[in-house]
Amino acid sequence: MSTAVSVRGLRMRYGAADVLRGVDLEIRRGEIFTLLGPNGAGKTTTIEILEGFRRRSAGEVSVLGTDPEKGGDDWRARLGIVLQNWRDHTRWGVRELVVHLSRFYDAPRDPGELLASVGLTEQAGQQVGRLSGGQRRRLDVALGIIGRPELLFLDEPTTGFDPQARHEFHLLLTRLAADDGMTVVLTTHDLAEAEKLAHRTAILVGGRIAVCGTPGELAREVQAQSSVRWIEDGRERVLSTPDPSRSAWELHRRFDGPVPGLEIRRPSLEESYLELIGRAA
Amino acid sequence: MRALRIGMRRGWAEHMHLLRNRRELIGTLIGAVGFFALMLLWMGDRPVKGTDVSNATFMTAGFLAFTVFSNGLMTLPLSLVTDREEGALLRLRAVPGGIPAYLTGRAVTVLCQIALQSALLVATAVLVGGVAPPRDWLTLAWVLVLGTVAVVPLGAAIGCLLPSSKSGAGMVALPMMLLLVPSGVMFPVTAMPEAIQWVAQAFPLYWQGLGLRAAFLPDSMLVAEIAGSWRLPYVAAVLGAWTVAGMLLAPGLIRRMTRRESGSRLAERQLATQAA
Repeated sequence: MSTAVSVRGLRMRYGAADVLRGVDLEIRRGEIFTLLGPNGAGKTTTIEILEGFRRRSAGEVSVLGTDPEKGGDDWRARLGIVLQNWRDHTRWGVRELVVHLSRFYDAPRDPGELLASVGLTEQAGQQVGRLSGGQRRRLDVALGIIGRPELLFLDEPTTGFDPQARHEFHLLLTRLAADDGMTVVLTTHDLAEAEKLAHRTAILVGGRIAVCGTPGELAREVQAQSSVRWIEDGRERVLSTPDPSRSAWELHRRFDGPVPGLEIRRPSLEESYLELIGRAA
Repeated sequence: MRALRIGMRRGWAEHMHLLRNRRELIGTLIGAVGFFALMLLWMGDRPVKGTDVSNATFMTAGFLAFTVFSNGLMTLPLSLVTDREEGALLRLRAVPGGIPAYLTGRAVTVLCQIALQSALLVATAVLVGGVAPPRDWLTLAWVLVLGTVAVVPLGAAIGCLLPSSKSGAGMVALPMMLLLVPSGVMFPVTAMPEAIQWVAQAFPLYWQGLGLRAAFLPDSMLVAEIAGSWRLPYVAAVLGAWTVAGMLLAPGLIRRMTRRESGSRLAERQLATQAA
């Protein structure tokens, strides 16, 4: 699998403050990658450098094989960007705006099909300013993928979505990554969403990548505690351990056979995240 | 070429949105033309002091000049700031060729508005004020075009420097109103003290007004002009100089403004607006 984003020793300094202190990161083509971190950790700065919206202080960055600071229109056409603060084009019609922005690309998606895929067919004739918050976000996502980007940046994409819209959006994103081979870089505060969608996650703490990997790898790396439950003497017992396999094996030996009611629960992404952030604080 | 083409379509679409928006329509188009009609009815019949030319004819040239000036130096900068605050500029920055298309679009929208308002003002002058059509259509055309070209890049440059739409309106409107008085567009500039006449001549509004008066007014009105002449070569030279100044100034400022746009800056601005 080739690389979509490669970052080596990325540093960013605002005045006397070091916001990024040597970020190393590799995002593979076709994966959904989540960047997590507490406020002020440097997520937004990192993403804006990758998007070509911000100049870095030092380090090497390659996005789709190009340094974002030197990326021209051809490079820009291969990216899709969805931010959470857009309130623009309120006087435009929904379909009118989609058609307008599609003209910037050589092989855009069909506006009608695109609106259908984000569930906005009924709103196609409405003014953008009259859409609800969730509808507005779905339109933003539609506009982000209209040019069939190879790499899509999503900033808090499901803020304001109801559970149904969120579920549909997750399906859409998974489909886009699977069918079109699109790489997705997602920043979110919703850890359940990150766990559900992301193939891999990086957690940024204090301007550095603290851990990076699948949720399981993250848990191992962070050594967050898994819980092992079983029934003994008619009572439920619980053991918190960083190595649940070893605990289960020891129980198996002690019981000299199957362990009654044995249940192993590995830590969620949220637990790993909180463990890591708690340690850093 | 593609960006230019998309920008022109974008500009036309934005213009049509303005026409479909009742509030905008009343605030800009009908408001300006209605005020002009009222002025014509109120004092249009009277002659300009010491001449046989009606106030209506004199005011037509002045209102036309002010229309170009205010669209270029007030509407355009405020539109830029609003687009920056709402994220339109950033959205266009995120698409290939988006910024050239955006700027083309904004220029086209302003040109459409100037053309429409000018046509309506001339029609109102003829129908309500009984003003004779311009005596020199060619001068009317080139002064309008050059005057527009002079203020559009300048307006874009000013828009890049305004901190917010809220404070920007006051920052732009006040100097505009102050310039309106001495620029000779509402009453003869020679009625002003000489020092103020010099100040007026430093700005494009005076020269735009002078050129348009040359198109509308008879030569008998030259007694009310500085140096007793229409000074059309000077009109061309000064408006041309302002065009060059705007063209030199605007690209760098626009590049700086668009380069600084990012999601976090947009969020910061929106938070500040909410807090205010």
